[in-house]
Amino acid sequence: MGENKPDVLQGTLDLMVLKTLESMGPLHGYGIARRIEQVSGNELSLNQGTIYPALLRLEQRGWIKAEWGTSESNRRAKFYSLSRPGRKQIEKETENWERVAATMARFLAPSN
Amino acid sequence: MELLRIVASRLKALFGGRRLDADLDDEVRAHISMAVEENVARGMSEEAARTAALRAFGGVTQVKEQYRTRRGVPQLEQAWRDVRFGVRQLRRSPGFTATAILTLALGIGAVTSVFSVVDTVLLKPFAFRDPGRLVVLRETQEETEAGTRVMPDNYRHFVRLMGETKTLEGGSIFHQNGASVSLGSDHPRIVGAVTASTSFFRVLGVQPILGRDFADSDGQKGAAPVVLLSYEGWQSFFQGDPGVVGRTLKNGGQPATVIGVLPAGVRFPDISIAPSLTTQSGLGARESVIFQAMRPNQFDLSADDSNFNYRVIARLKPGVTLAQAQAELEGLQNAYTQSAHLSIRLGAQVTPLNADVTSGISGALWLMFAAVGGVLLIACVNLANLQLVRAVTAERETAVRAALGASKSQLVMARLAESLIVAVAGGVAGVALAVAGVRIFVALAPGNIPRLNEVRLSLPVLLFAMALSVAAAIAFGILPALRSIGVQPQSALQRNSSRTASAREGGGTRSLLVGAQVACTVVLLIVTSLVLRSFSHLLHQERGFDTSQLTLAQVDLFSPQYGDNSPKVEAIKQAFADRAVTALGQLPGVQSVATSSAMPMTGETWIDSLSRPDHPIPEAQKPMVNVRFVSEDYLKTMQIPLLAGRDFADGDRANPRVVLISEGTARAGFNGENPLGKKLESIIPDGQQPVTVIGVVADTRINGLKNTALMVYAPYWAFTPWTLSFLVRSTRASDELIPEMRKTFWNIDPLVAIPELKSMDEQVDESVATDRFQTVVLTSFGGAALLLALLGVYGVMAYSVSLRQQEFGIRIALGSGKPALMKLVLGQAATPVLLGAGVGLAAALLAVRWVQSLLFQTPVLDPVSIGGSLLVLLAAATVAATIPARRAAQVDPMRTLRME
Repeated sequence: MGENKPDVLQGTLDLMVLKTLESMGPLHGYGIARRIEQVSGNELSLNQGTIYPALLRLEQRGWIKAEWGTSESNRRAKFYSLSRPGRKQIEKETENWERVAATMARFLAPSN
Repeated sequence: MELLRIVASRLKALFGGRRLDADLDDEVRAHISMAVEENVARGMSEEAARTAALRAFGGVTQVKEQYRTRRGVPQLEQAWRDVRFGVRQLRRSPGFTATAILTLALGIGAVTSVFSVVDTVLLKPFAFRDPGRLVVLRETQEETEAGTRVMPDNYRHFVRLMGETKTLEGGSIFHQNGASVSLGSDHPRIVGAVTASTSFFRVLGVQPILGRDFADSDGQKGAAPVVLLSYEGWQSFFQGDPGVVGRTLKNGGQPATVIGVLPAGVRFPDISIAPSLTTQSGLGARESVIFQAMRPNQFDLSADDSNFNYRVIARLKPGVTLAQAQAELEGLQNAYTQSAHLSIRLGAQVTPLNADVTSGISGALWLMFAAVGGVLLIACVNLANLQLVRAVTAERETAVRAALGASKSQLVMARLAESLIVAVAGGVAGVALAVAGVRIFVALAPGNIPRLNEVRLSLPVLLFAMALSVAAAIAFGILPALRSIGVQPQSALQRNSSRTASAREGGGTRSLLVGAQVACTVVLLIVTSLVLRSFSHLLHQERGFDTSQLTLAQVDLFSPQYGDNSPKVEAIKQAFADRAVTALGQLPGVQSVATSSAMPMTGETWIDSLSRPDHPIPEAQKPMVNVRFVSEDYLKTMQIPLLAGRDFADGDRANPRVVLISEGTARAGFNGENPLGKKLESIIPDGQQPVTVIGVVADTRINGLKNTALMVYAPYWAFTPWTLSFLVRSTRASDELIPEMRKTFWNIDPLVAIPELKSMDEQVDESVATDRFQTVVLTSFGGAALLLALLGVYGVMAYSVSLRQQEFGIRIALGSGKPALMKLVLGQAATPVLLGAGVGLAAALLAVRWVQSLLFQTPVLDPVSIGGSLLVLLAAATVAATIPARRAAQVDPMRTLRME
């Protein structure tokens, strides 16, 4: 892992997980972590373990559901999937994030 | 909604922690395996694949910790950890734990059980409407020499007062006595009865739950006799029959109609007829079961100024003070004295109902209360001391934990948890002790403590005692902890390298507390031993008669044939007494039988002044004597020695105007003259002729163990009372005799009531029940205090020894002998104990003045009690200090030196 990779911003991990589940369907923790790494092009410094507290947080809020199942390699694993409130939350979070990103972009734009 | 879900999921996690942990483990393991597989598939070696997978995952433990924090309720889990840690700590020092818990239990248990009794008996109001406004009204009579005498009420004066008063809302005049009640065919029972003017329940503010209250017409001349029943009376006579209204019962053989039933819990207290007449407690005081309307009989009471025979209860108008009512009634009485030209000067006395009912026993109860306060104080001091001692070790531990990175709040929480565990355990034990204590209290208590059957464990009191001792335990557990936070861990650790220093630190406070505790204990012990000595005096003094092998019965002649208006009533009563004495004498094993007009041990009754026609003196200077009407064999049966003259003989039956007097009466009435052959006036009811003294008998404590009464005995041939007691001396046990005696009485007349039938020893026992109760309770407090003091001294010494083990090890290594070490430890304990004992002795000398009135023939400065108490305390303290001292002497120097 490189030294200059940015940390995952507070709050963005949740959205990444939700978005991943939206596009991939039910997935286990390892799958989610790998997918996030792949999508970010290995640009993020993500300890794979940190997605577990995030998954728990999302589960507690009722945005995702968890179920034990069998993986493609025939291994017992916990599969997470989006719930109905979770789908709504994606819209909200996305909107939110876009607003933050736009604001940041305005600050960072060359001031000429 | 979302918050709720989070809370629910966290709580679920809190309880299913172990399973969820396993879940997480599985999940993480699956994650790593998948990563390894993928890495291997990419061509890595197994080992490199695993390393890479773990690196990508990050710290497994940190993730798990983070996960758990998020999952459960970390504060609760932390608290749970603190509690478990506390339990471990406490188990490591079982001595401290047991001492603290026992102290708390004793404190809470003793205080709560006694306070529950005091609360019910002294503080809880009656089940009457607005009981604070109820007063007992008595008349007073001004006497030139003796000051003012409080007297029962006169009917005529009562009617006048009620007509004129502006401070009283209403009043009711009543009699309180026994009634012989039956349902018709069965043997009658004697129950407490109130005969009251019809306003009685309106004054009390009580509504019957069945039927109706008295109406004014029930109290008119010629009205049909009606009664209301107490709830208990309704249950026991009519088994709670809902159709009881309209049924009849026999009251003294006369039918009366039940018109109503009072609510459960309404009990009318025993109002003493006048405070100066101390009828012996307990015996004869019966719960009032039937209430009858007072109807004018053949005597016209409204024209009689001299019949002072009633009790009055009244209700103050709202906003009127006791003093206002007192002043108004006093004024009305004075005015009446003048306008009616009475030879005596009348006044009034108004007492709050509550104070009146408890006046006889409040002294004893307050003493108990004080004793309990003392025990609680000792318990709190004990706890404080234990906690302070413990804090010294905790300080080092706190320093270690702080050095290892514990936060300040965690440090305080750990100490708090430990104190809380002790407090909760002690509290629970205290509650158990309190529940048991109330039971024991009620079981031991004599019958004359009013409202005792209503005593329940008082919840507010329990909470109070628990709050106090738990607060003490926690406060003294936390304060040192807070202080130790300020200490730099480094310095605390360094200082602790020599343990002697910290053991001595705070030693002053601890010694002070031990001293205070010892002082309190000495006071309690001295009071306890005074009361014990007094009780033993009471039981073991010369009684003047022989109580063993005596069985006694009380028989009430209440059926119509013995009624006032029967012309031959004297002969009929006497015939019953004659037949009973003869029949009882024929029972197997009976040696002698006598009858008397009063049950022994029931206090002073039938009090009359001794008048001598040959020696007239002013009424106020005449000695007051108790008159008893007895049968021929009375002296023989009671085994009272005849000192001079002769006993009654069969020949006196024809001319019964003869009396025996006791030694005390001879002294008081004849002042050294020979009383034999002298005359006495007006001893026998309706007897116009004087009686002749034929003999002098020994003084006895026949009315109660506390004093020898001045007695005059007359033969029952002169007058036979309606209430007779029979005394039977027999070689057989009372238990065998009692059923035969009952059968004998009912063979003669099945309609007489037999309210009492027991052995003389039982009667004596019951007569000192109040004193025994007091003694037992105070002794248990004294014992509790002693035990607490013992625990206190032991706890502190044991701890200080365990802290100084190293020092003792060094001392032994340097050649100090065991006796020298024991002396060192004992000396350390001796100072506070001796000082405390001294202070306690001084305090006790001041305090015992208040106990004086409760003591019988025991001086408050009784050297045996005081010396004995001090000895017991010092012995206990020595034992408590010797155990740790021996431990100090047995310290193994090699082990302790290696320990650091």
